[in-house]
Order: sequence, then structure tokens, then C-alpha cells
Amino acid sequence: MKLVGPVFVLLAKDLRVEWRGRFRFLSIVLFGGITLVLFSFAIDADDRTATVMAPGFLILALLLSSTLGLSESFRVERENRALEGLLLLPVEPAVLFYAKALGNFVFLAMLAPVLLPSAIILYGVDAGPGALLGVFGVWLLAAAGLAAPGTLYAAMTSRAASQDVLLPLLLFPLVIPVLIASVKTVALLLQGDPMDQTRSWIVMLLAFDVIYWALGGVLAAVAMEE
Amino acid sequence: MIHARGLGIRFGTQWALAHVDLDLEAGERLLLAGANGSGKTTLLRLIAGLRKPTAGELLVDGRDPSEDRLGARSSLSLVSHHDYLYDRLTAVETLRLWSSLCGERGGSGGLPDLLAELGLEDAANRQVAGFSAGMRKRLVLARSRLEDPRLLLLDEPFASLDPQGQTLIEGWIERFTGGGGTLIVASHAVERASRLCNRAILLEQGQIAWRGAAAGLEEAWARRLR
Repeated sequence: MKLVGPVFVLLAKDLRVEWRGRFRFLSIVLFGGITLVLFSFAIDADDRTATVMAPGFLILALLLSSTLGLSESFRVERENRALEGLLLLPVEPAVLFYAKALGNFVFLAMLAPVLLPSAIILYGVDAGPGALLGVFGVWLLAAAGLAAPGTLYAAMTSRAASQDVLLPLLLFPLVIPVLIASVKTVALLLQGDPMDQTRSWIVMLLAFDVIYWALGGVLAAVAMEE
Repeated sequence: MIHARGLGIRFGTQWALAHVDLDLEAGERLLLAGANGSGKTTLLRLIAGLRKPTAGELLVDGRDPSEDRLGARSSLSLVSHHDYLYDRLTAVETLRLWSSLCGERGGSGGLPDLLAELGLEDAANRQVAGFSAGMRKRLVLARSRLEDPRLLLLDEPFASLDPQGQTLIEGWIERFTGGGGTLIVASHAVERASRLCNRAILLEQGQIAWRGAAAGLEEAWARRLR
């Protein structure tokens, strides 16, 4: 039990704590849903335009919801300075990072069952089960791409008084590749892919995920410790 | 066990601790006394490796806590006035988490016995959020036991405890030191803490103002205040 075991012990702790305070999850789901509704009101578009805009709005709803979830994920570690207690144990900071990042990934993945159907209804998306399954897969890749750098920055800013402002300022520029690649992939899945571009965008998303999940483990000590 | 020479730490332009020389052999029991802001907690945090010294040399069990983080921390346990507890976990879940993360050091068996020893058997399955300050302190001490430390750092161990709780914890500390454990206690409860220690240091404005036998601390402190 060197790395994997403690990661899952801490992940189980995070999920248990989250479940007992599930109001937070519900409020963030609601925030994501309201964002989608507001986008649909803001563009005041016909059915075709709404369908074209749907991929962008969907991923933006994920991105905006993620910042709330990510900054909140370290609130529980700030209470009673719990993170400091974990750092006193013979546990590598990378273990703490991967547990928290996995927890955030699960959290963002769980937004999909609410936000995907909401977007389909609100924007009148007409797609088959295969395409929708593909969109769910892209959602998971995008969630992974947000969870790793988001957790790293949330850890770095967790001791700052203005974390809620700092986190999106740092995170948004960094995750532009995730935003572009996931919006393009969802659009190709929903609107057709005559040039067979989907694969290259997915490879880009995967590459981003791999790089930031690896980098997070390396930089965890800097991010977690004072 | 602890070797410090010229140890100091600066926050901004202010030296919180300066020119601290300290040698503590295994099995010794040291009382840190001093007014609020004199540097007691800062010294404990330096020894625990939670802060990097600005000046000087510090070795804990032969290791530099700022260079060999895991190694230096593997032999110690810090009971801080921050209790590092997760409010939404129960007492037994808290101990199980610590036991899992301490690996070989943490004994997983006997958690009910441990809770009973500290008078928490009836609260084992209650969430920590509902605990009184005294119950939280007892749980922290139970958790510290799971770390099986050779060096125990206690920051105000008697604060927020009723007389019965203070006696219980005093007995608990005596059993630890009776087993050959090394102890550093920072406390304002000088009379009670002196009984547990053989040596004492009085800190004033981050510097050692007096050192000697713990039994002579009260008189020395009173003399300096005159």
C-alpha cells in the first residue's frame, strides 16, 4: 500500500464527506442547469442556431460548474486545517493530489446525467444513442482535463483569502485547449464528421489529460505544502 | 532525538524565533513555556516539518525535516491546537482513516478499546461535528496513538478540557513517556505540565530566555516577570 491504496482510502473519505454534505453537489448541479437555461435565453436563437451552439454551451456549463466544485473541494481540508494533519502523516503529497483529483473527476462526471439531458432538451439536439454515448465519453475526458489542473490550482490557492477569484483566473487560460478540443469533438459527434477529425481532437484531449495528471503528481508537494 | 543550532524563522521582517539551540535526547520530556506569541507553537511546527527554518540547523531523529520530510515525520506526532478533524466523519471513521494512512505504524485493531480508553466509546459512531471541544481533544489523542510516535509534540494539551479530561490526558501522557517516548509540551498550564516534564525552556519574543529543570520553571518565570 504505497500509492494506490492510500489514494483510494482518501478518495473514499472524500466521497463519504461529500455524500454527507450533498447539498453542495446539488447546488452545483443546479448552477450548471441554470447556466444552460441562461445561455438559451441569451442567444434567443432559432432551433438550428441553438443546436449549433449546444456543444459550446454544454462544455462552458461544465467549465463554470467545475470552478465552484474545485474551490469547494478544498474547503473541507481548510476546516480545522485537516490538510495539514494529512501532511504530517507518512503520505506522499502526490497521494493527496491524486485522491483529491479523482474525487473532483467523479464529481464533474456526475454532473453529466443532469446537464447532458438538459442540454438536449433545451437546445433541441437530435442525436442517436451512439453519438450521445460519444458525447458522454468526451464529457469524461473534459472532466479529467479540468480535474487535474483544477485540483492543483485549488490546492495552491486554498490558503488565499480570494480563492474564488484566483482559481478561475489561473485555471481558465490553462484549460483553453480542453475547451476547444471538447467543444469541437462534441460538435463533430452531434453534427457529423465528414472530414474524420474526431479522432485527432480526442487525441489532443487525451494528451492534455495525461500531461496534467502526470504533472499534478510531480508538482503536488509544491502545491500542498506551505 | 532533536538537535537544533541557531534555529530561526522570519515572517516578513519579523523574527518569530531566533538563535534557538536545543538538544533533546530520546526519552527526555521538555516543557516549552512563554507568553502568547513567544514562539512556542512556531518551534513545534518547525520540529514537525510544517515550516522551513529561515536560519540555523535542525535535525529530528538524525534527519532534516525540510529535506527528508517523510523520514523526519515518520517518528513524530503533533497534537496541535488545530485538531485536523473532518467534521462529517464519525470518531471510528476518523481513527480508521488514520490507521489506514499510517501504514505499518498504525495498528488497525483495537479501535473500540482505544476509544474506550479515552472515554469516547459511546460516541464512536457519532459525527465529529457534534463533539464538544473536550471530546475532540480526546479523539485527537486517540488518533495520535495510532501514529505510534517516538516523539510526541503537544501544543496546549490541557486547553478546553474539564478537570476529569485533564487527569485522563495526564495519565495518557505518563503512559507514553513511561514507555520511553520523547515529549515536548507547549503549555500555559505550567504547574500541571511541569509534573510531566524533566526539562523546561522559557521563550520570550522568540528567544530562549531561560532553560533548566522543569521543577524550577515557575519560580524562574515569576522572577523574570518581577
